[in-house]
Amino acid sequence: MEKTIAEFEKFGEIVLVYGRDILWAMVILIAGLVLAKAVNRMLRVILTKFISNKTLVSSISAIVFVLILVFVVAGAMEQAGMEGIVVQRIIFGITMAIVFLIIIFRPYMPNLPFKVGHFIKTGDLMGKVEATTLTHTRLKTVDGKTVFVPNSKILKDFVINYYFTPERRVEIEVGIGYDQDLIKAKQIMETLLIEDPRIMENPRPAVYVVNLADSCVELSGRGWVKNIKYWKTKCDLIEKVKLRFDQENIKIAFPQRDVHLYHEASPSFPEGEGTQNLIDNMTGET
Amino acid sequence: MRLKETIKIIDEGWVRKCMGYRVHFQKRNNGDIITDYVPGDEEKPLESEVVAWRLAWKLAQAKNKIGSEMKDKEIFNIFVVDDFNNPVKHYATGKIEVFLPINDE
Repeated sequence: MEKTIAEFEKFGEIVLVYGRDILWAMVILIAGLVLAKAVNRMLRVILTKFISNKTLVSSISAIVFVLILVFVVAGAMEQAGMEGIVVQRIIFGITMAIVFLIIIFRPYMPNLPFKVGHFIKTGDLMGKVEATTLTHTRLKTVDGKTVFVPNSKILKDFVINYYFTPERRVEIEVGIGYDQDLIKAKQIMETLLIEDPRIMENPRPAVYVVNLADSCVELSGRGWVKNIKYWKTKCDLIEKVKLRFDQENIKIAFPQRDVHLYHEASPSFPEGEGTQNLIDNMTGET
Repeated sequence: MRLKETIKIIDEGWVRKCMGYRVHFQKRNNGDIITDYVPGDEEKPLESEVVAWRLAWKLAQAKNKIGSEMKDKEIFNIFVVDDFNNPVKHYATGKIEVFLPINDE
């Protein structure tokens, strides 16, 4: 009993001596964390006005955040009673350990084939990269959806990065009937491609007969446009081809079958009720 | 003759690549007829003929609305022109189309 009381008394003395320092250290830590977050947020807002590169803004903000944290932790540890030199050695050791780990594991860290702001297609998804983390990538699709794609899925699939392709080839595919004026159709398509302001002059647009299909002759009109204008140009050209073909009486083919009827002697049927029964059975009437 | 020269002759004589489209319209202002274009001269012309004709049609529809507060004949003779301000045939009909035509002399 006396031993327990002595231990409690000793504990009380320790708390009286060191408690105040530890309390101040915790206050410094908490205040420092709040300050670091506030500075980080303000810095992002200010830097975004001057720097357009979002990755650079994130990196600078992260570095400042980490520096503030280091000072706050060092200050809290010194306040708690640690000697300055010991704190410096701990921080130096942790920094060296982090740098060492990054150097060793850098080759194994996934290197995504795009950056924030690039427009990509991965699998069935097409969209603009809004953010990348170690585990997933945030994509905003063309119809406004925000999709979080695991990096592992991206790395296993092909990725089309439209950032590296400033120009794209637009293809207009039309099938016309076998009995239609093929040369005229080609000329019309080529005219439409050439006169469109968005279609580049080099490489020259051209129209090809790509296939003699079951129901139609397939034509393919091809021209190059700037990536950003691809979709609208394609839609406009499809519309103009259809309407111009209508004006020039060129029929766009649709799947169809030719049925050839050969006249042969009709089979003999029994006369009378049998015949009527047969007809009734065929028509479903009684 | 070199192929490049031939292609240049063809490009100049066969199909001209239009550099852009504008919607032409006229309006009356204190008895005077003023011709204007949209997009204006200070703006880039429209690259899409489809968009230009749709804009012309919508403008005509807006001004042709029954019960509109706008005065009658305020905007008329609406059609699409090319970069040389020449009227362009409508891509759907192959003819020169004019919305809200008024022969005002």
